[in-house]
Amino acid sequence: MTDRPTPLSTQDLHALLDDPRVQLVDVRPIDAYNGWRLRDEARGGHIRGARALPAKWSEYLEWIEIVRAKEIRPDHTVVVYGYHEDETERVARLFGRGGYERVRVYHDFVDGWCADDRLPMERLPRHRHLVPPEWLKAALSGETVSEHDGGRVVLCHAHYRNRGDYEQGHIPGAVDVDTLLLESPETWNRRSPAEVRDALRALGITAETTVVLYGRFSFPDNADPFPGSAAGHLGAFRCAFIMLWAGVKDVRMLNGGLQSWIDAGYDVTTEEGERRPVEDFGAEIPGAPELAVDLPEAKEILAAPDKNLVSVRSWPEYIGEVSGYNYIEKKGRIPGSVYGDCGSDAYHMENYRNLDHTSREYHEIDASWKRIGVTRDKHNAFYCGTGWRGSEAFFNAWLLGWPRVSVYDGGWFEWSNDPSNPIETGIPEWARS
Amino acid sequence: MGPVVTGAGDGRRPPPLDAVQDEIVAEMGGLEDAMARYEYLVRLGRALAVPEVGIRTDEHALAGCQSRVWMRGELRDGRLHLAADSDAMITRGIIALLLRVLDGRPPREVLEADLYFLDRTGLRTHLSPSRANGLGAMLQRIRSYAEASAGE
Repeated sequence: MTDRPTPLSTQDLHALLDDPRVQLVDVRPIDAYNGWRLRDEARGGHIRGARALPAKWSEYLEWIEIVRAKEIRPDHTVVVYGYHEDETERVARLFGRGGYERVRVYHDFVDGWCADDRLPMERLPRHRHLVPPEWLKAALSGETVSEHDGGRVVLCHAHYRNRGDYEQGHIPGAVDVDTLLLESPETWNRRSPAEVRDALRALGITAETTVVLYGRFSFPDNADPFPGSAAGHLGAFRCAFIMLWAGVKDVRMLNGGLQSWIDAGYDVTTEEGERRPVEDFGAEIPGAPELAVDLPEAKEILAAPDKNLVSVRSWPEYIGEVSGYNYIEKKGRIPGSVYGDCGSDAYHMENYRNLDHTSREYHEIDASWKRIGVTRDKHNAFYCGTGWRGSEAFFNAWLLGWPRVSVYDGGWFEWSNDPSNPIETGIPEWARS
Repeated sequence: MGPVVTGAGDGRRPPPLDAVQDEIVAEMGGLEDAMARYEYLVRLGRALAVPEVGIRTDEHALAGCQSRVWMRGELRDGRLHLAADSDAMITRGIIALLLRVLDGRPPREVLEADLYFLDRTGLRTHLSPSRANGLGAMLQRIRSYAEASAGE
């Protein structure tokens, strides 16, 4: 490959768009891909059919493995585009080094493609609820920011019984939220409406507040007594779900959690964020009861043809090799549940995240769900052991704008506690062939 | 599980630990991009000596790794001798680096080592979380061998 590949024109690219031998690659930040207009472009999102491969990922040792996992093949003509020519060309060169012989670049995305309404683009429907660090920084400093109607922003650093995680460094202005404020350690379900109301009031959150949540991923080890204490960002998804259920209208996640903030070059602080409690939540809790499913409804879902109970657990848990938790004894799966593979264990969500902990390219999540029959026309209730992983998967479906999504809150913990509930173990029939 | 203690030593003395780390940092620092670093690790992985038969057993398997990893530590003549293997070439490459730095050293030196090369080469920061987790599991296992040996 030459050092400076000849750029395609907008017209050339448009003509190639539906050619199956061509694969578009978007090297802008994942948030731009999802729909954020980070350069004030006329339209947010990505060129239809493009795969997300942010230039940031080319720092990772396994860059070529990510490319292969996305099924970008050496026999494809790869067309790379981004915000900056140098970044685009750097990734294009990397493809050349990786054995891709037909690599082209497109440099007119903002002025040529976005500006022309006739050219097809796609975006994550609820992308404004998955925020980039740049937006958060601007919003916290009181600037008028895009995709926000104004009003108070409460930033929550989530953790599980690990205030030290917050104290060792958090985003300036963040308050700490122990997941135990919102979920009960007896059932691991969401707390009662009155308890959730009191917790939200103490945090200064009303139904109208914009809440942004994040956590820190610090390599949870399943052999630790409290692995959840190291899975802060997963805990943040759990809190986001409970707040949505409670009726907070504008709940957002910092895409990638604390890692994204640090990667963006922003400082963390040890200075305690100020809590400004409010008198009244301002609405009845739960404001969105349909987002949570309990045992009787979970059973109805299992029996209904247009509904799925999606097990967001790991394979060893699903086949009953392990329970997944040091406080759950029984092993196995709920018969009839659909396997929504979380990744390696109860505290990891590799299959729902990019390698920098940002939420996985939404087309990939959508495609993996489609393969197991989890589609937007159905009611999909996600569950895991006690609700954290189920909440993260739920949030992804909710971001897609799916109309009927919920968390089966009780999950395996509740199901397996009642001996009258059936349990299956072993490799299921569909996986044997 | 503690390390196997045997009387056979090969008499080999490794160079100073930090010198080896600096050497790796310089080698990897000279690589221009992620593909070059990937190829470097794959090359090291291919060149890693295959441990004698018997290491790929449950007894030596590590949990927490994306690919399968087996590891064994033996104390010989006051030094910790490590052997490891993986079914993934890039992981074998990472193993090769760990062994280059830590193999054949007194357990105390292993325990006290500040492994700065992992950060300076991006090995810790620019690995996928599951591989980084695996790297952590390998380091932990090496540490536990060293701890068990240090008291002997």
